[in-house]
Parts: sequence; C-alpha cells; structure tokens
Amino acid sequence: MNIGLSEWLSLVEAMDKGLIGGSFTQFYLISRMILVRNEYEFDKYDMIFEEYFKGIKHDFDDISEQMRKWLEKPEYQAFREDLEKKKALLEEEGIPIVDNEDVLAKFRERQKEQDSEHQGGNQWVGTAGNSSYGNLGGHLGGVRVGGTTGYQSAFQVIGERKFRDFRNDRVLDNRQFQMALRSLRQFSTRLDIDKTELDIDKTIDSTCNNGGHLKIEMQKPRKNSVKLLLLMDSGGTMIPYTNLLNELFHSVNRSNHFKDIKTYFFHNCIYSHVYNTPECEYGDWIETEWLLKNLNSEYKVIIVGDAAMAPEELYSLTGNYRGPNDGYSGMEWLLRLKKHFKRVIWLNPKMAPGSAPWREAETAVKNTFSMYRLTVEGLKEGMKYLMLNR
Amino acid sequence: MDINAGGFKSTGTYIASPELMSAVNVARALAKPLLIKGEPGTGKTMLAKAIAESLDMPLITWNIKSTTKAQDGLYMYDTIQRLYDGQFGEEGVDDIARYIKLGKLGEAFSSDDQVVLLIDEIDKADLEFPNDLLWELDQMEFYIHETKETIKAKHRPVVIITSNAEKELPDAFLRRCIFHYIAFPDRELMDEIVRTHFEKVDEHILKEAMDVFYLIREEKSVKKKPSTSELIDWVNALQLGGIDADTIRSALPFIGTVVKKDEDLETVSHISFG
Repeated sequence: MNIGLSEWLSLVEAMDKGLIGGSFTQFYLISRMILVRNEYEFDKYDMIFEEYFKGIKHDFDDISEQMRKWLEKPEYQAFREDLEKKKALLEEEGIPIVDNEDVLAKFRERQKEQDSEHQGGNQWVGTAGNSSYGNLGGHLGGVRVGGTTGYQSAFQVIGERKFRDFRNDRVLDNRQFQMALRSLRQFSTRLDIDKTELDIDKTIDSTCNNGGHLKIEMQKPRKNSVKLLLLMDSGGTMIPYTNLLNELFHSVNRSNHFKDIKTYFFHNCIYSHVYNTPECEYGDWIETEWLLKNLNSEYKVIIVGDAAMAPEELYSLTGNYRGPNDGYSGMEWLLRLKKHFKRVIWLNPKMAPGSAPWREAETAVKNTFSMYRLTVEGLKEGMKYLMLNR
Repeated sequence: MDINAGGFKSTGTYIASPELMSAVNVARALAKPLLIKGEPGTGKTMLAKAIAESLDMPLITWNIKSTTKAQDGLYMYDTIQRLYDGQFGEEGVDDIARYIKLGKLGEAFSSDDQVVLLIDEIDKADLEFPNDLLWELDQMEFYIHETKETIKAKHRPVVIITSNAEKELPDAFLRRCIFHYIAFPDRELMDEIVRTHFEKVDEHILKEAMDVFYLIREEKSVKKKPSTSELIDWVNALQLGGIDADTIRSALPFIGTVVKKDEDLETVSHISFG
C-alpha cells in the first residue's frame, strides 16, 4: 500500500486530538479513512491490519500492567462520562437509577459474555469487543434512551472480508472493464498533437483583454483519436470465459467514444481468417490479410485469449483444423500482426504468475507480445502501454 | 471521548451509519475535505444536506458537469459585459470588481457564517479538475488577478465531495481527503431508510418488496442493479396501488419502477422469487 508522510501525520494528529478515544474499532476505522484512498484497497488494508494485530491476546491477564493501563484508562473514563450523561438523562425522564457499581458489574459481566460468544474462530473479536468503547456503548443500548446501534468490531468487519470484491487483482467485471477502457480516452486527450481548433472562449477573453483587437487562441482537439482492433479468443479452452468475454464485448460496444472499434473472434489462435461472431462459423469471416492491408498501424490492438494453444496450433503450417492456414503457421500470423501494428497487447484471463516454462504456448506468446493478466490492474497497465508514444 | 457527541448525527430523514458519522466528524476535526464514494443511490448527495441540517449551517452546492472547470468555482471575470458596457458608455466600467462574479467556492469562502460546501460528483469533470483545486482547498483562499484581491475563507467551510467512481481521482488529491466508501445498505439499514420516507408502511408489503429487491440485486446477470430510490418508489407504488402483498412475488406488480432496462426485465421475469 502506498501511504505518504502527510497521511501518516494526519493519523497522528487524529490520535493527538483524541478522536480515537482508546477504542480499537475506532482506531481501525479512522486509520482506514485517513490512510486508504480507494475501496479496492480496503481488503488489502484489512489483511495487513489483521496480520499486524492478530498477536493481541484477548485475555487481559496476559497483558502487561502498563499495557492494561493504556487499554483501560481511556475506556473507563469515557465510560464514566457516558454514565454521568445517561444518569442525568434518566433522572430527567424520572427513571430510577441503578447505582454505578451495579452498572459497572453488569458491564463486566457483559464483557465476559461477549468474550465467550465471539471467541470462536477469531481471537480478536474479544479484544476489539473488550477495549472498544463504541461496542460497549452499543451493548448498553438497553439502558440508553434512544441509543444508536453499536459499532461492529474491527475484527468482525475484517472477518467478513466484505471488501474483497473491490480488490483490483481479481478478474474484471463489466463495469470495471468499461472504466479501465475509459483510461484510453483520458490518455488520448493528452496526446501530443497540434493545436488545430479555435478556442472561442479564450479568443473572446483575449480579444476583450486586448482592447478589442482580435487575438486568436487555438486549442488541442479534445476528440478521441484512438482506434481499436479487438481480437477475442472463443476457443474451447476459453469457454469458461465466454460469458465474461461476451460482457466485455458488449461494454466495448457501449463505450463508443473511440474513433473506431473493430471486433473479431478467433479460435485458439489467429490464422488467415478472423470471424465476425464468437461462434466462429465457417465462412462468416474476413481475411486477416485484409486487416493488415486496410487498418493503418495506428490501430491499437487488444488480443484477449488464454494463449493455451497446442504446439502444433502455434507452429505447424497445417495446425489450424478449422480453416486454411494460407502458408503461415499460427506464430507467423501473430508475428505479422505484431510487425504491422505499432501497439499490440495480449490480455490473458488465465495467465500464470511469473514465468511458467511448462506452458509452452503461453511463454512463446508472452515473448512476442506484452501480455497482461485480465484484471483491473493488468488492464490499466496494458492501457498505459497502448497509449505510450514511441 | 465520544467523537460523535455534539457533532454530526443522523437526522430525521437521513440514516447515517456510525462509521459515516465518525468520518464526518474526523474530517471536521482535521479540517480536511471528506470524500464520499459509493454506488449511485446510496445517499451521497443527501448526506451533505443532512450534515448541513444537523450542524445548522447553510449548504452551498456546486454541481460538477463534464465541462466544469476549476476556475468556475472561484470566480468569473465577465469581460464581455464589460466590453459591452464600455461601448455604450455605462457608468463604472473602470471598476473591474463590478465584473468579477464569485463562483460557488468563492461564495463559500466569503460567507459570513460557516457553511457546508458540497462539491457534487467531482468525477464528472475533466481528469485534471481535482488537482486544479488542491491549493484552494488546502489554503482556503484564492487570488483574483484582475482586482489584485485575495479571497480568504472567513470560516473554513465543511467540504464534502462526492464521487460515483466513474473516473480515478488523482493521488495527490486523494491524499488530502478523508475517504469514506458508502457500502450498499444491508437489509436492516435499508428497512430503516425506507421507513423514514413513509408515515405508515404496510409491513407485509415492505417485507415482500425487500425480499424481491435484494434477490434482484443478487442476480449477477442483472445489468443495472436497482438502488434505494427505486425501492422507495416501488413500495410507494405498491401501497398507492393497493396491491395485495401476497401477489408481489408471483406477479411482480409495477416492477418497471425497480428494473428499468428491457434486458433486465427479461432476466427478472425468469427469476423465481419463491
């Protein structure tokens, strides 16, 4: 996680101002709101937090005297303050008050109860429950008039791992894919192009500031100049991903902010023809040669596939059992694409981490194209590469 | 210390989670903007209104559009009006200050009372937009070149920024904010939320509608997940229409208020709601 000095100082400031108030849960929440900047880092934060604090025993007897003081003092102070407030409130309402000691004893009892209840599996909950003032407030809800729901303890929140879905290393869903593709547009506005459009607002401003003498201001065109060629594998090994691919295809269609998008399909590897539909029906295709002749090299090419071809599919001149090879092996076709287009990336939903020499085809393709895992992170990296100027 | 005491609390019509409440109060205590992210319909905009109401401060809303520039929030120098006035010999053309119009940020800074400033849907604007505001939000002041005047906040406004996460916000900007992510309300909270919108609610209708609502949200193939406002509309329609609660699961009356896309209606019609 990328945390800077200024966030850290903010957290220290928050502690200094007593915002955390000796509550473990508050500490968890407030550190998170200050240190973490994105919901997809919540899960990572949870994991780190757990790793660091899991050693904390929930049994108070094991904690050193000093630690105990540190843990208990603010809590009791807050507890007492709260008690006084409640007392006043109850008195106003004319409800008889149980004496302080009694409430404290009950509070102790509850603490014990809670310990045993939450102990199973998560040793932390005990600690969080014990030391968390927020939680305590919640537990006394019966006494409090019009009380609020107690905080969930930090560990319970972590235990649920409810932010797992936001992690950016998981395989993409549709919305995230659209979002990632947007970066292609964002980068494109920063392209190094000439100022060719008249900036009317600025021209008027400058002219007025110029005492009425015309002063023309130009700006860079804001239109997206990116052209995309999308080639998607719908071969047998990709069947589990067909649904995902289909969605991705739809989302690309929807994000119609590109100058041009062309989408074709292939089966396992690209040969002399690419297909118009994911079904890859014989005859419903266009020649790969046509793509090379008609699309200029500025087209950014995204190939999506698992690159799990059999060796003959990649290297044999007759390795394509669904159609003609036209004299080139699969690998040669891929190399021709690479040679023609300036920027090609390969997105792989099943990419092995690190180098995986036993995956012969994947390794070969990886050596040919920049390959990225089909995740939010991978896609972002890929888009960045696509938008680089040579 | 209970940091929620005396600070922001749930108001009559807005239900805030304890987490959110402490986020608001931490942001105030540290004098940092609070950035709120979450699915559409989780009450991001409502939050600012509730904060203003609960703190008893006026609310200034700056709605961001794709064409909004940072400068728009500070001030506008109406050169055209000045040129126009100049040509027709209006009085006071020499006084540039007459042609300086403060934007929402400027308004918040120059207000005599402390205000809540809502910068709504910041992600709609250009990628660089948040960065252009860094200095102003940090220092709470800006400089008007034309009049050589500095507008400085009399009282630091409580700045609330919302984002639908359409675009990534720049790191430098995020680093200065207190971040809060509004998760979609769970059933318990949703129950509370719906109830605040009705004086009286038919228990049976509410339960059935919530069951169906959450089942639809769980269905992966539903493209546009219904949000809180859709549920409220639906419960309202069901009550006004005098629908028998027992028919909700089978007949899905007024389902168009919840599911709005044709393809999703198709999907929903195949779900069995038991």
